Amino acid sequence: MDPITLISIIKGGLILGALYALMATGLSLVWTTLGIFNFAHGAFIALGAYVAWQFSSADALGWPMLPAVLLTCAVMFLVGVILHFLLVKPFERRSDVVLIAVITTLAGSTILENGLLLIWGPRSKQIEPLTRGEVDLAGLHLTTAEILLLVLVLAILLGIGMFLRYSRPGRSMRAVSQNREAAQLLGLDVPKLYAIAFGLSALTAGLAGIFLGTIRFMHPAMGSEPLMKALVVVIFGGVARFSSPIYAAFIIGLLEAFSTYIFGVYWAPAVLFVTMIVVLLVKPEGLFGKYQRTL
Amino acid sequence: MSEVMLDVRDLSGGYEPVQIFQHVDLQVSAAESIGIFGPNGHGKTTLLRTLSGLIDPWQGDIFFDGERMNREGRRGSRKWRNFNYDAVTRRRMDPKKVARAGLIHVQQGNLLFPELTVTETLSIAVSAASGRRGWSVAEVQQLFPRVAERRDHKIRFLSGGERQMVSIAAGLIAAPRMLILDEPTLGLSPKIRQELCGAILEIRKTGLPIILIDQDVAFLEQIIDTLYLFDHGRISGRMSRDEMPDHETLMVMLFGERH
Repeated sequence: MDPITLISIIKGGLILGALYALMATGLSLVWTTLGIFNFAHGAFIALGAYVAWQFSSADALGWPMLPAVLLTCAVMFLVGVILHFLLVKPFERRSDVVLIAVITTLAGSTILENGLLLIWGPRSKQIEPLTRGEVDLAGLHLTTAEILLLVLVLAILLGIGMFLRYSRPGRSMRAVSQNREAAQLLGLDVPKLYAIAFGLSALTAGLAGIFLGTIRFMHPAMGSEPLMKALVVVIFGGVARFSSPIYAAFIIGLLEAFSTYIFGVYWAPAVLFVTMIVVLLVKPEGLFGKYQRTL
Repeated sequence: MSEVMLDVRDLSGGYEPVQIFQHVDLQVSAAESIGIFGPNGHGKTTLLRTLSGLIDPWQGDIFFDGERMNREGRRGSRKWRNFNYDAVTRRRMDPKKVARAGLIHVQQGNLLFPELTVTETLSIAVSAASGRRGWSVAEVQQLFPRVAERRDHKIRFLSGGERQMVSIAAGLIAAPRMLILDEPTLGLSPKIRQELCGAILEIRKTGLPIILIDQDVAFLEQIIDTLYLFDHGRISGRMSRDEMPDHETLMVMLFGERH
């Protein structure tokens, strides 16, 4: 393998990893605070992409990219809050909420995806790349959109991390995830914090959808394959810390890039799952996991 | 006797389908501290968890400072309870409302937030108080020097006594107008226990009314004005501090000669 190939594989792996990290963070945010897996996360990804397309595409409203992205974020946050209210909140106090939430969020996902099909139709679309430009670094070919994606994703993840660590609502969210009862007894507004967590998760899914929509063709079920990968990342990395699914995402991204190069596209998922099974055999709580569910 | 702060009327409750306490009437005035003494497993903690809204009461009313803490009426009938209780009926109590009214419950053996540091935990209590005046962080650190010493440690690395202190400190910051302490000295070493008892006495001296559950009559005597005996899910006796007998006599009153 010559160095240029090696570096471009690493580049591909990092970009995949960044996308997976963004999706897995949203997924683990909900898993750690509410204690459920949100199977509508994939549909959120698709919805984010379509909403952003509606705002930005020349065939639709044709706004500049920045307001389009910001408005998409607001819409996604709102959608997350509403869907939390409809799909999860009525069952939150039940001890079997995990199982019920699987069914309700799957239902929500199906309804959302078919809604997208109904509104925007089956034709494939693509969001205009955020920037157009290319850089040649010692034989390595990079587009500015790729660089921007990496930088933006890292900035967003850093922002969420800081929010959880230093802001009051962020800290309160961590507290609720660690001991719901104690948080309630101090007078924290637990339902509101749950809604914020769900909204934030939907927002990150929407951003992931926008990035995905610029590099691949959009279709209503575009979120299901990334959701699968995000699930693998969350399970593979564990959720002991906010950062553990992020590390796991980059490991999985690089692994996927290398195994695609070495074994081909068809065998890459197999390699991924075999790795995951082996890791889980040795560390059932995930690569960076501890036996607990916290943030 | 000054005005009644906490007024519990004919309260019954428990964990579906087991009823744990029934027909509890309890009045606590603003200047008074009460103790609840009774055998383990007879529903003291369940009663307090109901007061603070963690469990829905089955019937009866809770007033705090004249304000009704529960939704009116009885709990949904047996027929409704077979459905999704939260979707079909509305909860009768909201723990947030109780805490924000100023009735703060410090749980038994509270694990708090294991991955947060002491400072972070106290800052959460500050945001939970959201502007209402509670103790300041400096004041609780003065009351519990150990809490100040350990401020950068995560809660899960603290000892049981230190955790209890942080728990009470957080409760004090969350703007209490009445404090519920559920067996604060349970399972602590004598030295830490003494330190904690001293601090609780300090808190009492500020005039904050306390509802205290403890198994140590000598300690109860220092803090409370009225003692309630609680067994088999009912209040079976009420006595003022002056009428309080020693531990042995109390045990005989509760269990008879052979306990």
